[in-house]
Amino acid sequence: MLRGVLGKSFRLVGYTIQYGCIAHCAFEYVGGVVMCSGPSMEPTIQNSDIVFAENLSRHFYGIQRGDIVIAKSPSDPKSNICKRVIGLEGDKIHTSSSSDFFKSHSYVPMGHVWLEGDNLQNSTDSRYYGPIPYGLIRGRIFFKYMKPRIYEPMETASGVRASGG
Amino acid sequence: MLRGVLGKSFRLVGYTIQYGCIAHCAFEYVGGVVMCSGPSMEPTIQNSDIVFAENLSRHFYGIQRGDIVIAKSPSDPKSNICKRVIGLEGDKIHTSSSSDFFKSHSYVPMGHVWLEGDNLQNSTDSRYYGPIPYGLIRGRIFFKIWPLSDFGFLRDSPNGHRFSDD
Repeated sequence: MLRGVLGKSFRLVGYTIQYGCIAHCAFEYVGGVVMCSGPSMEPTIQNSDIVFAENLSRHFYGIQRGDIVIAKSPSDPKSNICKRVIGLEGDKIHTSSSSDFFKSHSYVPMGHVWLEGDNLQNSTDSRYYGPIPYGLIRGRIFFKYMKPRIYEPMETASGVRASGG
Repeated sequence: MLRGVLGKSFRLVGYTIQYGCIAHCAFEYVGGVVMCSGPSMEPTIQNSDIVFAENLSRHFYGIQRGDIVIAKSPSDPKSNICKRVIGLEGDKIHTSSSSDFFKSHSYVPMGHVWLEGDNLQNSTDSRYYGPIPYGLIRGRIFFKIWPLSDFGFLRDSPNGHRFSDD
């Protein structure tokens, strides 16, 4: 009887490892659901929005200017950042702000990308920590899940309760 | 008969994907065999030596000073580099060479590591491209399996005096 129980548990562990590996590879190579937190990508992505990230572009080196990517943070390897790709390797980036008199610029080094959040006033990005290596990019965000809105009944001018469209 | 052939091919594809995923996860999370090329880690690792890399230390953030790591190259994401970790985040690195009169140093930023090859005269490393983010590290090399004359755990750095984290 012990052998039966042992055999069953080994089979269970075997199946768990098997399907765990398949699921991991699906998330790693195809894509998955991600939740971005923080205000740095407003209004494109609000705090706590649920987005879909695909990981194929990164593996085929198909990330382009204007893509929103999820990457490992250069200052904290345990966390991820969601930013937009402003420049690829070799691009000229204007690093001075619009209030500066003397314009300054720099070039993105080989193998790096320049990221900026859409909410420029409230985003810690490449303007702060410089260009990040392409190898830190994990995926490309391409789809946002729009929660269905619940409409509350509103009072019209005449006081009759009516539902909003 | 066509249905039989189709069924067999789907099963074959299914098994291939299944065992491919398990093999991939084994390499990704446990470790695997790696071949390092280039002279930058001589004499510890010669050109075309075959070594074992384990990937658990990286996932548990257990990489330490003196470890030899394999990482994605910061200047070319398609290739990998094998270097030794000289400094972790917050460490003070002496960036001036021994012939300079004025010593200069810098601190490794948060989330980064400072890498140098053992063959200091012939290594493109953090002295050239600066500290690299920890997120680029892929694994830790700890054992050499080829050539058999050098089989075994890897030596400490021949440049021992570089580990000053005062």
